[in-house]
Amino acid sequence: MDIQAKLQILSGAARYDASCASSGSKREASSSGIGNTSQSGICHSWSDDGRCISLLKILLSNDCRYDCAYCVNRLSHDIPRASFTAREVVDLTLDFYRRNYIEGLFLSSAVMQSPDVTMERMVRVVEALRSEEQFGGYIHLKIIPGCSSELVRKAGLYADRISVNIELPSQVSLQRLAPQKSKAAILEPMKLIGQQINTSLVERSASRKAPRFAPAGQSTQMIIGASPETDLQILRLSQGLYKKMQLKRVYYSAYMPVTNDNRLPVLAAPPLLREHRLYQADWLLRFYGFSAQEILSDDLPNLDETFDPKTAWALRHPEFYPVEINRADYNTLLRVPGIGVTSAKRIIAARRFSAITPEGMKKIGVVMKRAKYFITTSGRRFEQSIRTPERIRQQLLLVESNVVEPPRQLVFPGLYA
Amino acid sequence: MITMKRYLYDGTADGLFSAISWILAEESEPEKVMLVEREQTLFEEGLFINTDTLQAEALFSRLRSRAPDAAYTIYMFMLATHSGMESSLLHYFALAFTHGDKVNGYLTHQSVRDIVSIAKKVGRELHRMKGLLRFEKLQDGAYLAKMEPDNNIIQPLANHFRTRLAAQHWFLYDVKRRVAARWSNGVLQFGTIEQVTTPALSEDEKKVQALWQTFFKTIAIADRKNPRLQKSNMPMKYWKYLTEKQGE
Repeated sequence: MDIQAKLQILSGAARYDASCASSGSKREASSSGIGNTSQSGICHSWSDDGRCISLLKILLSNDCRYDCAYCVNRLSHDIPRASFTAREVVDLTLDFYRRNYIEGLFLSSAVMQSPDVTMERMVRVVEALRSEEQFGGYIHLKIIPGCSSELVRKAGLYADRISVNIELPSQVSLQRLAPQKSKAAILEPMKLIGQQINTSLVERSASRKAPRFAPAGQSTQMIIGASPETDLQILRLSQGLYKKMQLKRVYYSAYMPVTNDNRLPVLAAPPLLREHRLYQADWLLRFYGFSAQEILSDDLPNLDETFDPKTAWALRHPEFYPVEINRADYNTLLRVPGIGVTSAKRIIAARRFSAITPEGMKKIGVVMKRAKYFITTSGRRFEQSIRTPERIRQQLLLVESNVVEPPRQLVFPGLYA
Repeated sequence: MITMKRYLYDGTADGLFSAISWILAEESEPEKVMLVEREQTLFEEGLFINTDTLQAEALFSRLRSRAPDAAYTIYMFMLATHSGMESSLLHYFALAFTHGDKVNGYLTHQSVRDIVSIAKKVGRELHRMKGLLRFEKLQDGAYLAKMEPDNNIIQPLANHFRTRLAAQHWFLYDVKRRVAARWSNGVLQFGTIEQVTTPALSEDEKKVQALWQTFFKTIAIADRKNPRLQKSNMPMKYWKYLTEKQGE
C-alpha cells in the first residue's frame, strides 16, 4: 500500500480525537536539528469542519484486536486496515514540519498484538524523531492502557504531552461498552504520569539539566451521552482528575453513532449542546474558582440548556449581587456573568489609575448586555427596575434569543488505545 | 475658545519619534498638545519639528530600559498599516515614562486603548502568520514562502523561523511590499526585491504537497462541514498561498 493510501486511512481514523493543543511546552531549538515549541501553541490551518489543525494527527495502526462498541476501529467493523512503519511517520512529520504545515505530531494507535507491542512501536517512532533527527517540535503521544510502566516513562521523556483516555465516565459503563478495558489499567498510568511530572519539576528546579517529563502535562478524553451518567457525576470526575492527578485538560466528546451496537443508545442527534455546556462548566472549575458541587447538586444533577452554567449560578444566588466593580476582588469579579478572566484582570489593572465608569467598562471589553444586571460602578446601578432573578431571566432570554450560538467545539468519539 | 497646540512632523517613523522626543522635553503637559503629519499645504498651522535619527533612537532606547513591555507594544504598533494616531502615541509615550509597564493596564484611557488595540491587531496577524505561512522546497534545496500580510510583519516573523528552522536555508517574501528575508548559514538578511523570477520546485515537492492536501481533506469530519467557522478562523485573504487551498 502506498503512503497516500495509508495516510488517508490512518488520518481518517484519527479525526475523532478531540485534542489538537500544541501549547504548554517551551522547547528550545538545537542549532543542528529542527523545530521548537511555542508556549501558547500555534494553529496551522482549519479543516472544513472548522476545527484547528496544529498537529499531524494519525494512528500508527488501525488494526485493532479490541471490540469497543462505540469505536469506528473495533475488531468487528469491516473497514480497510493499515499500519505505518516508524520511518514513514518520521519522514511525514519532518516533511510537513519543514514546510510549516504543522506544529508537530499527535500519535495514537489501535491496539495491535498487545498493549506492550503497540506502545513499544509508538515509542520507537518518537525516539527516532528526538534522538536521530533532533526534532524539537511538539509531540503528543497516546498511552495504551495496560502497557508496562517502563514504556510510560520512556513516552514521557520524549513527548511534550501524553494522554490516557478515560473513555467513559464510570467503571460500569466501561465494562458494558469496552469489556477489554478496565478502570485500573487506565488510572494506573495516569497516576504514574502525575508522579513523574511532579518529580521532574522538583528535580528541574534543582538542576536545569534534569530531564523533562511531559512538560505540557497530561490530558484525557471521555464520551458524553453513550452511557447514563449525569453531568454532576462527570464534573465530579473531572474535578478529581484536575485536583488529584493534576491533569491539564479533560476533553468531552459528544457521542456520535458510528456503529449500530444494541448496547448503545439511539439518539436523534449528537448531544452537542450538552458537550458545549460541559466545556463551559469545565472552564468554571479550572479558571473561575467554582467547584462541581456549586455548579450542580443532587437535586439539580444536569446543566441548564438555556443558560450557561455561570449565569445559571448567578440566577440562583441573587444574594451575591450586585458586585461593586471598583472594589470587588478578582474572584468575586469572576462570578459576574459577562466578565471573563481577561476582563477581570483588565478591571483590576485599570482601576489602579482611576475609578472605572460605565463607559470604561465597555472600553475594557465587558459584555455589558449580560453584566449590567449584576454590578454597580462606584455605587451606581445600571438597571434600576430589573432586579429580581425572574425579571433578569426574562430579560436575558430576550437578548440571547437574538444571539447566534457560539461555534461549538466539535468532538466525537473514536477512542483508540 | 482654546485651541490645542499643534506640532507637525515629516511623516516618517524617525520624524515621528524625533517630534515626540522634542515635545516630551519641552512641554510640561504633553496630553494637551496634538501631533500630526505635515501636509503639503502652504498655510498649515503648527510648529514643524525636524527629523533627527539619533534623537529618535535615543528616545526608543530610553523607553526600552524604563518600560520594556510598552516599548514592545510600540514596536508592534509601528508595524501596522495605518494613518493618524500620532497624538495617541505621544500621550502613550508620556504615560509609559510616568507609569512604566503598568501603562498597558490603563485601558480606560483612550490613547492607551488606541495604541494597545492596534498593537494587538498586529500581534494577532503575526501569530496567525506563524501558522499559515507555507514553504515550498526549491530545486537547490532552499525553501521559499510567499505572503501578503496586512501589516509589515516580516521582521518578527523571520525571527520566529530563524530559531525554529535554524538548519534550513529559507526565504520569506512579502509580495505586496516587495521585501524579502533570507536565512542562510546562520545569517539573517532583509532586502527589497525589484524583480522576481519563480524558481523551479524540487522534484519531491509536488508529492509532499499532495500528501498534505490528502491529510487536510481526511482530517475533517464530512458530516460536520462548517465553512463559516473555517473562514472566521482562517480568513480567505490568506488562502492564496495555502498549499491545502490550491485549486479551490
